[in-house]
Amino acid sequence: MGLQGYLALWCGAFGTLALVGYARSLAGVTRAQRAVRVMGRIERVREPRHGSSQHDGIPVVVSFQDPGTGQEFTVTNDGDHGERITTAWTGREIGVRYPRGRPHAYRFVGDLWAGRRGLGWPNFAIFLIYVGLVVFAAVDRAWPWALIGFGVPWTLSGAWYLPQSDRAVSRRFEGLTSQPPVRGRVVAVLTDTSTDEDGHTSTSHTPVIAFTTHEGTTVTAYCPDGLPDPAQSHGRDVTVHYTSDDPAVFTVNLAAEHRSRSLDTVFGVVALLVGVAAVVAGALLL
Amino acid sequence: MPITTGAPPTRTTPAAVASGFLTGGVIGASLAALVVGGIVGNAPLFVTGLALPAVYGLLFHLAGAPRRAREAALAPRTALAMIESREAVGGEATSDVAVRFELTVAPDDVPAYRVAFTQNINLVELPDYRPRGVVVVQYPPDRPWRVRIVKRPTPKWEERAAGARVDSAPGPAMVGETPESSAVGVVTLLALLLAAAGVVLLFRADLFDQDTSAHPPSATGPSPSVSSSTSSSSTTVVSSASATVALGPDQTFLDKGELRRAVGSLAKGTNTRAALTVVVQERLLSVVYASTDAQAPTFDPDLLPYDRFPALVKEARSSPGVGSPQTWQITVERLTGSLTVRVGVTGTEGAASLEADARGEVVRRTPAH
Repeated sequence: MGLQGYLALWCGAFGTLALVGYARSLAGVTRAQRAVRVMGRIERVREPRHGSSQHDGIPVVVSFQDPGTGQEFTVTNDGDHGERITTAWTGREIGVRYPRGRPHAYRFVGDLWAGRRGLGWPNFAIFLIYVGLVVFAAVDRAWPWALIGFGVPWTLSGAWYLPQSDRAVSRRFEGLTSQPPVRGRVVAVLTDTSTDEDGHTSTSHTPVIAFTTHEGTTVTAYCPDGLPDPAQSHGRDVTVHYTSDDPAVFTVNLAAEHRSRSLDTVFGVVALLVGVAAVVAGALLL
Repeated sequence: MPITTGAPPTRTTPAAVASGFLTGGVIGASLAALVVGGIVGNAPLFVTGLALPAVYGLLFHLAGAPRRAREAALAPRTALAMIESREAVGGEATSDVAVRFELTVAPDDVPAYRVAFTQNINLVELPDYRPRGVVVVQYPPDRPWRVRIVKRPTPKWEERAAGARVDSAPGPAMVGETPESSAVGVVTLLALLLAAAGVVLLFRADLFDQDTSAHPPSATGPSPSVSSSTSSSSTTVVSSASATVALGPDQTFLDKGELRRAVGSLAKGTNTRAALTVVVQERLLSVVYASTDAQAPTFDPDLLPYDRFPALVKEARSSPGVGSPQTWQITVERLTGSLTVRVGVTGTEGAASLEADARGEVVRRTPAH
């Protein structure tokens, strides 16, 4: 079997998988489509214990109602139950997802409707077919096809996302500066120690801040960035800028926010240029 | 639902052994297929080595799906429990420590029972789990030994635990599923080795008998192919330009039939090539082949009078003035037109040589000087 045979086998296998996936999605029987998605509500928030691990998230009690049976459930984020909760306040809405009939297998999700059509795997299969075609072109025809095959989707996605992300960052910055800041306090520093295979020990520190918004909501949140010397920050007072429509968008260091905004733009432009350069170089070398 | 208080199943069941055997076989076969396929350049074999574990993993996953679905459909039970004892058993280097707990679990509807298990606890939270303290636990209803302490109980259970008192249950503690017994491990390893050996045996011809006829030099770029094989008695190295056979320590090419056998083994690999020179020493035979476009006079190494060689060496050794003979060498070539077998011996007192023709008849003697 030659190279073309392997390509046909590759494309056939993943094409079949993709077709099956799309058919299942159309028929509405993918696991993502059959999952129950409800909006839960955070009923109670506890401050994490100083020195404990950041992996468990902020301890919360969440209530949600099963739309099928109307039964009310009260659960906590104990153990492995989906996304880690890093920002919480009483009354905050939080997505809850679980397989139909199994509310005990609840998982918290930030974006309740993400991936609701279950097209992740079929799309990935299509991507693998594309990769197979590019590799075939690079091996069988000429290697610059690899540059073009990699550069074109890279550039297109960069050109698509760069303006969007720029707008989002601008909106976020405007939201943060639209109202006066509030006082907050580092209520705990979460410590995680890990040891790699060489026996080197590394420790990470995640400060947890609590602040009360102008509307009187007490927000407890992980604050992984923006605080100098996080290990020693326990009890420190901080100035918190937050957006009024979503207090989960906040910063304790507006200057750093400004710097990272410029850095993001530069990074996006450089990435875009790399893609363009790859396409141009590939076309010239063909 | 009644709680079965018997010991949980161990994993040395025939199914576990069979699964271990299959897994070991697949690992061994796919690894061997990857290596053998890479060495002999067999692409389908190499692809099989890649695809086999993927397919097996998929089948294994599918086979376990019904059991997993059955287990996942059951809502875990929540109960109060009392800590009988706790002991740190490892993991001090990180913020989590593995703690071996022994608890009395007191479900609402069935008798209390004891259970022992290990769970990771953060160092900071360790003081919350003192002996005699009451905690909230969860377990699957069909596997009551698989208990887990709920670190963040719901408010309802938190209140119950705060005011509760749990009495110790008698009897030995259930332990979680025992780790795979060594029998399964041994079977897995055995299957791995068997499968790998099977693949190597299947393709032994390609692996060990690669020769120039199987891999003719390509027309575009000549690339000398070299193969070597070692048996208990001799080492043979064949390339496109020369071949050597080295004998083991207790043998000599003067032994009856040894030379012909050695040359025969070369001829099999070289497809009766034209030789430029054949040199024979006590334990070393080397043949230099002519390149295909060479105009030099060549001969067929198969047709030499090998049966006469021991006698020729003996005759050269007995030349006067050599002393006690030490080394000998036979060189065969036909540079001068006719085939010449030159036998040289070196002794303690001098060196002598003689020349013979294609039939092994002595034509010239050069005594020691």
